[in-house]
Amino acid sequence: MESLGIYIHIPFCKRKCDYCDFYSICDLSDKLMDRYLKALISQIDEYFQYGKPSVDTVYLGGGTPSVFGGKRIEKLLKELSARVQLARNAEITVEVNPESVDEKLLKRLKAAGVNRISMGVQSADDNELKALGRLHDWKGAVSAYELTRRYFDNISLDLIYGLENQTLDGWMDSLRKVMALSPDHISCYCLKVEEGTPLALRGCVQPDDDVQADMYLCAVETLEAGGYRQYEISNFARNGRVSRHNSKYWDLSPYLGLGCAAHSLYGGQRFSFVKDIKAYIEGVEGRKPVAEDVDELAYINRSGEYVMLKLRTVEGIDPAVFERRFEVPFGPYEDILRKYIASGHAAVTDGHYHLTPTGFLVSNVIIGDLVNSVCGAE
Amino acid sequence: MTDRESIRNFSIIAHIDHGKSTLADRLLQECNAVSEREMTDQLLDNMELEKERGITIKARAVLLEYDADDGKRYRLNLIDTPGHVDFNYEVSRSLAACEGAVLVVDASQGIEAQTLANTYLALENDLEVLPVINKIDLPSARPQEVKEEIENIIGLPAMDAPEVSAKAGINIRAVLEDVVHNVPAPRAGTGDGPRALIFDSQYDPYRGVIVLVRVFDGEFRPGMKIRMMATGAEFQIVEVGYLRSLSFEPCESLGEGEVGYITASIKTVTETRVGDTVTDAVNPASEPLQGYRKVQPMVFSGLYPADGKKYPDLRDALEKLQLNDASLTYEPESSAALGFGFRCGFLGLLHLEIIQERLEREYNLDLITTAPSVVYRIKKTSGEELWIDNPLNFPNPGEIEYAEEPIVKANIITPTEYVGNLMDLCQDRRGVFKDMKYLDSNRVELHYELPLNEIIYDFFDALKSRTRGYASLDYELLGYQKSNLVKLDVLLNGDIVDALSFIVHSEKAYARARKIVEKLKENIPRQLFEIPVQAAVGGKIIARETVKAMRKDVLAKCYGGDITRKKKLLEKQKEGKKRMRSLGTVEVPQEAFMAVLRLDED
Repeated sequence: MESLGIYIHIPFCKRKCDYCDFYSICDLSDKLMDRYLKALISQIDEYFQYGKPSVDTVYLGGGTPSVFGGKRIEKLLKELSARVQLARNAEITVEVNPESVDEKLLKRLKAAGVNRISMGVQSADDNELKALGRLHDWKGAVSAYELTRRYFDNISLDLIYGLENQTLDGWMDSLRKVMALSPDHISCYCLKVEEGTPLALRGCVQPDDDVQADMYLCAVETLEAGGYRQYEISNFARNGRVSRHNSKYWDLSPYLGLGCAAHSLYGGQRFSFVKDIKAYIEGVEGRKPVAEDVDELAYINRSGEYVMLKLRTVEGIDPAVFERRFEVPFGPYEDILRKYIASGHAAVTDGHYHLTPTGFLVSNVIIGDLVNSVCGAE
Repeated sequence: MTDRESIRNFSIIAHIDHGKSTLADRLLQECNAVSEREMTDQLLDNMELEKERGITIKARAVLLEYDADDGKRYRLNLIDTPGHVDFNYEVSRSLAACEGAVLVVDASQGIEAQTLANTYLALENDLEVLPVINKIDLPSARPQEVKEEIENIIGLPAMDAPEVSAKAGINIRAVLEDVVHNVPAPRAGTGDGPRALIFDSQYDPYRGVIVLVRVFDGEFRPGMKIRMMATGAEFQIVEVGYLRSLSFEPCESLGEGEVGYITASIKTVTETRVGDTVTDAVNPASEPLQGYRKVQPMVFSGLYPADGKKYPDLRDALEKLQLNDASLTYEPESSAALGFGFRCGFLGLLHLEIIQERLEREYNLDLITTAPSVVYRIKKTSGEELWIDNPLNFPNPGEIEYAEEPIVKANIITPTEYVGNLMDLCQDRRGVFKDMKYLDSNRVELHYELPLNEIIYDFFDALKSRTRGYASLDYELLGYQKSNLVKLDVLLNGDIVDALSFIVHSEKAYARARKIVEKLKENIPRQLFEIPVQAAVGGKIIARETVKAMRKDVLAKCYGGDITRKKKLLEKQKEGKKRMRSLGTVEVPQEAFMAVLRLDED
């Protein structure tokens, strides 16, 4: 049986970043955190009371899991490993922010079995960090990284590009500085100014699409040259150290998301838990349902979903695997992909259909074309 | 039947916005034709569109009973006329049904282009024209000067013209007294067979076509067999009657001088054309009444459903509109770019806009309209003569001996300070200056001959914007003139888009080509491939723009396995695609087709 991935959402933040529109809160009281921890543990109890599934990835995301405190994380992981069959080589990731990293925390995480740290560095330019509403500066990020390195040999750093007033050179400078730290994994996300965020309200103006596209292509090239192989639109790894947990999302592998606002693909179904932390805690405490159906588009079936997600990866789609798994022909997709291959947006490597970096940049259009044409045809 | 001597048949004519419909409302009220409760603004304008645009699209008539100051009761037939140059012929037939016309002139604006055009039309039909000065309650009113204008420019005695305010209800009775005393009673018949003039017809789903007529000779009664003298169609009368403000009032017969309606189980208005003469089929009149002509559409355009599946709906809707509008023509056409649609003929651009709006509103259709075209006459080298209303049928340059285009005589009235602007405009539209007359020290009448195809796009808008809305325009068809015409094709990604082709004067081709490629560039969203947008005449590219390739449209992050965003995006793309037309590999939004129709709005 396929191993399960577990995501645990920790919605606490010291300060909400100006670009963020994920669910998080800034009430860091022990009382609330303890109640939340209890609720998480009772969910673990509930889901795994009838058997111990084998789990090979665990991911604590947020919010900022590091502000949850090493003790709570330790307790959480202990409870979890008692109720599931944690693979010996399981990947256990915790997201941290540079300013909340200290020796005590790192020691606790290490002791709790955490073996991968994902740190939100975002930029090597202090002005840009300030504009994003981050609480750390570049110097702080470097020392946090170096401290973390003493305890962990698998570290991922996050970067954001397409920032207001950012130039191609400025971006490449940030990227090179981060690469110089030699993390094992780098994620480069293009800033998206989401409606209602402080960034949007302030009228943030990003560099135009052409510049953003150049930023992306230069980053891909530079990272590849530095030994970081791209394996997904925004993700790059050295020595094969891809995020095994995130890879499950793109492969339609099962994952269970625990905590408020967490999403799952579990038991063949997509669902999520309520976004509001109070409603979540009270629901769990009162044994009331907290799961909500995820808005499924009726016309997109699982095979369409697979195309939509798998084309985010460099590996792409193996038609044989696709047809065996979903028992539908890949031909209709192939027919459409042909024109993108001709234009250099897609390619076939070892029989796998995949997008190229220029294709990734316009993947919304290509994926929309594929999925809507094949699944959406009336 | 009514005593002929007590009948008065009259119209109200005016420039747009001078208060024609409001005055009509007041006259109805004064004659108690409507109760307070039934009174809505602009009663004779039934269509929502008519009220909204403040124009009358269809003629309508109403019988009023008026107790005059002389103690007698008069029967007044008020025939409302359409108020736009597109409907000139209908106006002239409505006027032909009358003995008099009330000429409404705005007390502050004075005489405008349509004031003149309508007055001349009334005089041609031997009508007694009675000037009325309206809107005297406005602070800017200058009734005395306006009266002098009427005397000097039109040559009508106007010193005793009633000064009224239709809006405020001032002096309304004076208008009615004027009508009673100065509009002649209908003349006695000639003794020939029965004759009635059709001045409008409307379709009723239960009774078939209701024909509005003015009887000139003899009488018409139910059971009688009638013939339409121009179309030759024959029917048996089911009912005749009078037109009341809110209802039809059946009567035994319609006699000489009367205005009323006839129903005769008529299926379509195309058999009851405006201007035709109704006569007795058994004892026909020897000659029809004068002035009938079959109205020819002047402007043609392709109408396509935005959603190809709605083609049958569009056909049904056009069929229904035509029941009531004999001047609308349509025939199926197909375009490689737009699929199946209809080539429709209209009296003018306003008529086109009205039909388009009614199709969209009343029939809930989303339409794509192709560039309007006039009818060109082409003499081929083979000696064959062609009438071309569709650029797709324009022959190759090598086959053309010569081409001709319709020319109109345009009268423009404008305050003197804008004369320069207007001359530039007319010059730019290939106009030929004919003459210029000072109406008074402030206003000028300009007379130009202009190609119709220069007027149908946006001339009226340009005229208004260059004169801050003060100039007024009227035109009539003059005839055809040789012209150096070419077909301009638009190519997207190297392929001709048939729906965007149009015929243009060769000297204008380059400027239009530039504008059209620029507009298309603005309106075609960036796609994954670079799209050349070109304009060509006879295979030679004369303008080019490029829609650059789209380089970035990506969701960078798919956080925590939440894929709802991605799915929403897919759905949005699916919706967006519905507004697009695929032309080869290029996706063109509907707006792009519309934008090229409005080339000069800058």
